Amino acid sequence: MRARAPAARTFTTLIAAGALMLAACSTPAEPNELLVLEWSGYEAEDFWTDFKASNPETEVTFEFGDTDANILALMQGGSQADIFHFYTGWQQFYVDEGLVQEIDTSQLTNWDKVPDSYKELGQIDGKQYFVPWDWGFTSILYNTEQVDKVTSWDALFNEEYAGHVSMWNDGPGAVAVSAYINGWDETAITDEQLAQIEEDWIAQKPLNAFYWTGEYVDLCPAVQDGTVWVAYAWQGCYATALAAGDPVAYANPEEGRNSWVGLYGISADTESYQLALEFLDMKLAELTCGNAVTLFYYGCANGDVMAAIEDPILIEAFGINDPAILESTNFTPLVTEEQRGAWTAMWERVQAH
Amino acid sequence: MLGRRGVLKFLAGPPFAWLTLFFVLPLVLIAAFSLRAGSGAIGPAESWAPSLEQYSEVLGTPAFVRLLGMSVLMALGIAGLATLFAYPIAYFLTFRAGDRAPLYLTLLLVPFAVSYLLRVMAWKLMLGPEGGINSLLGTLGMTDEPIGLLLYSRPAVIITLVYVWIPFATLPIYAAMQRIDRDHLEAAADLGAGPWSRFWRVTLPLSVPGAAATFFMVFIPTVGEYVTPALVGGTDGIMYGNIIQGFFTRSANWPMGSAMAMIMLVMTLTLVVIGLRIVRPQRLAT
Repeated sequence: MRARAPAARTFTTLIAAGALMLAACSTPAEPNELLVLEWSGYEAEDFWTDFKASNPETEVTFEFGDTDANILALMQGGSQADIFHFYTGWQQFYVDEGLVQEIDTSQLTNWDKVPDSYKELGQIDGKQYFVPWDWGFTSILYNTEQVDKVTSWDALFNEEYAGHVSMWNDGPGAVAVSAYINGWDETAITDEQLAQIEEDWIAQKPLNAFYWTGEYVDLCPAVQDGTVWVAYAWQGCYATALAAGDPVAYANPEEGRNSWVGLYGISADTESYQLALEFLDMKLAELTCGNAVTLFYYGCANGDVMAAIEDPILIEAFGINDPAILESTNFTPLVTEEQRGAWTAMWERVQAH
Repeated sequence: MLGRRGVLKFLAGPPFAWLTLFFVLPLVLIAAFSLRAGSGAIGPAESWAPSLEQYSEVLGTPAFVRLLGMSVLMALGIAGLATLFAYPIAYFLTFRAGDRAPLYLTLLLVPFAVSYLLRVMAWKLMLGPEGGINSLLGTLGMTDEPIGLLLYSRPAVIITLVYVWIPFATLPIYAAMQRIDRDHLEAAADLGAGPWSRFWRVTLPLSVPGAAATFFMVFIPTVGEYVTPALVGGTDGIMYGNIIQGFFTRSANWPMGSAMAMIMLVMTLTLVVIGLRIVRPQRLAT
């Protein structure tokens, strides 16, 4: 028996090794590639530089959507994307339709740097489905040489600025502005209120030079060349114009600014879950988040990065010197698919007038 | 060895398959989507029941119907202007350019080497408050301040699209003029017809099929145009195609977008048929 013991151990070891090899063979390795459904511009390596550095062999490709509706439609239509990027207000749809899977936050090394208020935006029914990443404000950007101090969202409707106004080409955005001005609950807009909103925006249409679609594509150049004096705008364009020395200001409307947060989800059908998790973790890393802030003037969910901002332009753009600013800010709420459908259809009718 | 029919099938097969896959099938899909009720994007495996709800919604919305009418009018104007401007260019290339015609033809096609978007963006700069046209008007003392109407307006869309189409529009007219038998013109001259009379009674009728082809070649795609209005049209220059695009992208309402596209298709084809029956270019050419 003793003489057989080593042989038995060897046999057992061989069996175990064989079993491990079989197990390894039966569990397919994740492909070393990622497809990210993104917004144009976010494919720049500055936006995922930490992941690039830690995974130089991984092939990262991008598919693009140009609106939240478009990105949801692509996911509903069977996009092969492993990761998708959208903005607050659309979370529930992805969960309801089974398009997203839960995030294992225990594997995110940078998760503790994300403030709880941002984490909560990515939760549905107590589960963390989304990783918050970029964030910012929406308010009125205006030319201080042409326009008196703006104190309300109704500056977008001021006929004195006819031909020099620019509204974002977005139905839910238009409804939000009207809700702020009229003091209505954005999540409970009635049919009568929506009809009133439609009439108001039809009347406002001639005041616009154009409805903008891309912050850096068409809005900022028009603000900087003096075509647009009053615009619905994100803080990135404000910071850009401010850095260029243009005469601009970013309003603190009495109804409050709007704030939005960008969220990343991992597709329910991905074969690269671990890699996708790592990608999102690296998105929150210091260098990548720092690039979003310093190069593109977007806020980032890494609290350490935001706390380290010293550039006065960025401090002004993010309202860091105003501790009360978030108290009066309207965060984009969740709305139903029916509301989205009605609001976007309303906006198409406004445009057709 | 392949017979004549076999060769024809061999040659026609790939383009036929290509058109079926990438033109006919998408068209059938759009027609099918347009018959779906409700809103929202459509998953490939989702079932649906046919309904005319979307058509009723589009045709029951005056703003959409008006915009379609305006887009048709704009397309008619743009096609007419592009044909009008292209005609003398084609005439020059055919009857006056002589040996240099190939060179001029090549120069005419040079803009195609530049991206469509870039050409439209160039017009955005040209029409802008500090653009070439406003600067010229200011320098000549014709205006005190930049004319705002030039950019972000319906005229801006028309000017840009006419420019974009002129090189395309020249080709069918040029091809038609190339086919004119010079003996006809000589015979007319021998019979005492002057240059104007020869043009009016020989060249023009024989080139009408090319001009008609040009007109419809410009008119059909222009009705559904959306890129140029989006770039230079502003809120005033929005066309029907922009709303279709909006329903597919901003609204993710594919059924409504599809119904609008089908209505536009039917209307455009109807107008083309009516136009061809009125003009009857083949009759004019004989």
